[in-house]
Amino acid sequence: MVQYIIAGLVLGGIYAISSSGLVVTYESSGILNFAFGSIAFFIARLYYFLNIQHNMGITVSAVLSLVVAAPALGILLYFALFRFLRLSSSLVKVVATLGLSVALPAVATTLFGNISILVAPGLAPQPVHVFMVAGVPITMDQVIVYISVILTVVVGGLVLRFTEVGLRVRAMVDSPAMTSLSGTNPVRVSVGVWAVSTFFAGLAGILAAPIIGLDSQHFTLLVAAAFAAVVAARLRSIPIAVMVSFAMGIATSLIQYYLPSSSVWTSRMITAVPFLFIAIFLVYNLILRRDLSDSTKVGSALDAAIEPHGQGVLESSEAAVLDASMGFIARYSGPIVVAIIAMVLPFLMSGVWLTLLVQAYALGIVFLAITLVTGEGGMIWLCQITFAGIGGLWTAQLATDYHWPVLLAVLAGGLIALPVGLLVGFLTIRLGGLYVALITLTFALLMESLYFTQGRFSNGGLGVNVLRPSFATSDRAFAYVCLFVFILVALFVVNLRRSTTGMALDAVRSSEPGARTLGISVVQMKIVVAGLAALLAGIGGGMLVVAQTAAQPVNYSTFLGVVWLAVVVSIGIRSSIAALVAGITFLVFPQLVTTYLPTAWSQIPVILFGLGAIGVAKFPQGTVEQNGEKFRRILLKQAKKRSDKKELALTSPQGEAT
Amino acid sequence: MSADDQVLVGRSITKRFGGLVALNDVSIEVPKRSIVGLVGPNGAGKSTLFGCLSGLTRPEGGSVMLNGRDVTRTKPQKRARLGMARTFQQPELFTGLTVREHIVLAHRVRFERRRLWSDMVGPRSIMKPPASETEAVDAIIELLEIERLASMPVTALPLGSTRLVEVARALACAPDVLLLDEPLSGLDVNESEALARALVKVVTEAERDLSLLLVEHDVATVLAISKKIYVLDFGQLIASGTPDEIRSSDIVRAAYLGDDAVSETAAD
Ligand SMILES: Nc1ncnc2c1ncn2[C@@H]1O[C@H](COP(=O)(O)OP(=O)(O)OP(=O)(O)O)[C@@H](O)[C@H]1O
Ligand SMILES: [Mg+2]
Repeated sequence: MVQYIIAGLVLGGIYAISSSGLVVTYESSGILNFAFGSIAFFIARLYYFLNIQHNMGITVSAVLSLVVAAPALGILLYFALFRFLRLSSSLVKVVATLGLSVALPAVATTLFGNISILVAPGLAPQPVHVFMVAGVPITMDQVIVYISVILTVVVGGLVLRFTEVGLRVRAMVDSPAMTSLSGTNPVRVSVGVWAVSTFFAGLAGILAAPIIGLDSQHFTLLVAAAFAAVVAARLRSIPIAVMVSFAMGIATSLIQYYLPSSSVWTSRMITAVPFLFIAIFLVYNLILRRDLSDSTKVGSALDAAIEPHGQGVLESSEAAVLDASMGFIARYSGPIVVAIIAMVLPFLMSGVWLTLLVQAYALGIVFLAITLVTGEGGMIWLCQITFAGIGGLWTAQLATDYHWPVLLAVLAGGLIALPVGLLVGFLTIRLGGLYVALITLTFALLMESLYFTQGRFSNGGLGVNVLRPSFATSDRAFAYVCLFVFILVALFVVNLRRSTTGMALDAVRSSEPGARTLGISVVQMKIVVAGLAALLAGIGGGMLVVAQTAAQPVNYSTFLGVVWLAVVVSIGIRSSIAALVAGITFLVFPQLVTTYLPTAWSQIPVILFGLGAIGVAKFPQGTVEQNGEKFRRILLKQAKKRSDKKELALTSPQGEAT
Repeated sequence: MSADDQVLVGRSITKRFGGLVALNDVSIEVPKRSIVGLVGPNGAGKSTLFGCLSGLTRPEGGSVMLNGRDVTRTKPQKRARLGMARTFQQPELFTGLTVREHIVLAHRVRFERRRLWSDMVGPRSIMKPPASETEAVDAIIELLEIERLASMPVTALPLGSTRLVEVARALACAPDVLLLDEPLSGLDVNESEALARALVKVVTEAERDLSLLLVEHDVATVLAISKKIYVLDFGQLIASGTPDEIRSSDIVRAAYLGDDAVSETAAD
């Protein structure tokens, strides 16, 4: 028992380092670093690379990875990414850091080798020394964790509270412009904060590796727990974050103590711990009706005034002026061209490519759900893959085990996902964007480990097979079924965007006070969109399962969902065409890489997907919009030239006459 | 004056932000079909009072009556439907919409609420809007002289014009009372005069039943067009009365108005 509590305190300590690192960076930069886990993994992997793969000593490896590489990575990331994010919207911040979290593990695999690591050593020399304290064994690794926790939490807290440095960091929170007026260089402070933050991430990673294993999937769970603590701390309070962290660590240990270690429920309960804490927090806040907004407007009016307007805003307004002055054909030329290409493609392709194309069209439907909920509704939901999973897995159940007609089963799958979407919406809609992102992420993890792991879905690892409808069994025929459904859904989304509903959604997205005082209920609008998106994602998931002719629960990992969002956002979150292009890119591009490039390049697609999402920091509209605009501008110029010529032709004879 | 004649009444409103008392027991009345001014130095609590009246901010104490109905616990969107509209000091516009779309949306939310949902599945978004809507929207655009801006996206507008859009959107809700938070700031002299004229016009127009509660730093204009004026300072209501009474009030002079401002306005 005591031993379990000691282990729980160790785990809690690692959570505490992570969550306080997250809170400090959020406090001082306004950015909640969703890539924290990936940075932790990256540094831990580097440590393993130096220590084990290259046989460097523990001290040398630790110094190189923690004291040299980690801060260097933080500084690099600050200059390459984080400094652009300060005044960006929540969505851009979340997506850019998520993009980083997607890219970094892939970079690590590419740099340090793709090997399976069974045991990762910690900072203690091997074999790990075991102390006996009052009859209870404590390992050297555990001692090191305790010391690290005390150093980070206590010393860090004191520094932040009582010293000059802390004062500067806290001043930055309010206004970098003011800080710079008072003679402190805000860039230097920010660089320092990010260097320290990546150091904490690296420390947490190296300490956690021996306990949870050196695997980026497991690191996601570590961060889920840290996120739960951050949510409970309302993004700001380090003491609460630390306390909740320890509570979760101990709760996890007690589950291990009381439940038989062989039971599947033990591991399921353990993964559910972060979500349980979040659920308690949510219910508590619902009851108290506390207002949980994450004042995303960081910085003072002065900051906003001296910061140049985001390029995106100006460009999009230019585009809107263009749009307004353009004819129907010019405006819809892009979508029409893409639709024609999409119709011709199934004829041009065959074999594995055609198989992928069918799935790409089905995936496009799921991506439309992301377009709807995030692009139109402005909600940063990271669990769209969960709804796709519910829809897909239930489609297979109904079609195969209950012998429903398969397309009816697809629809039913969507209808099963719908109330789940409404429920998540109901629980989160009053919260600020960051909370929503955090909670939907942990929700996805919970569903992945608790619900999708059921025997009825996994079927002993084989998954459940699904037959395509009899009129469209070939890949080519079913590609058209998917494309038909995609176009139906896309038309619905486009119509919604242009309709009064779409205008009201724009209102809700850009200014809640403005929308409410106009008489629009923000909650109603958002709930309806959330439900619709879950329905569409469920249907898309169903179509995807029918396209793949099998439903495999492992296809719905939360991490994959994050990659989905990254791809959709980087290609264009507000465009239906982009959803289709994203579907094709996501499935066909990796196949291109594996077919034509050496295996060392296998991580390139993931890295590029991640980088694409990071690019959102600079081009918030995504590539399709960006290029679409260029394209339209060229068309417009041509049209102008033509009309200018006409005018010339009309006026010049007159000029001669007079 | 009996309670029936008031379109908006705030009674003993108190709001604290931590230790700061932003509003201390403030009462305010807006009679039907009139312009009421609310003035006070920076940080006096004017915007906070607007927040409490419109329901976006929850006060610690006091009550709000709209058209004789207690709306103290009513949500902002419901208050909007009951006849209250407002503008914001920091414009709260919708970044994806054009100027005209702002007005159209406000009009539909007020008069064709069902379209918020029914349009999602119907083809109405590609059909011509009904004539009554076009007429109403055009009238507002004409009134505020923003024909030039109508098809522009709001992100392309300078600050002064965004204020006009805020006013236009609020008017499209056809409210009984409209709260205006510094609508003239950011406008040049001509624009400012034009807007003041338009505001007087909408209130005197026979077909509308509109009152204005006007927060403005341009005291001369407020004194010129308001029927009654309230003066806030440090969350306290320090004076109220007709423009003449306010001009001659020593408390107001001491607390807020420079001597110049008073003599200037007295002159015209
Ligand atoms: N959300 C808030 N949290 C804390 N304090 C606030 C908040 N909103 C306003 N205050 C404070 O309340 C006081 C009144 O602010 P308010 O914005 O109502 O003043 P105002 O009269 O509108 O000033 P101005 O003429 O500058 O617009 C100020 O001291 C302000 O700092
Ligand atoms: Mg104000």
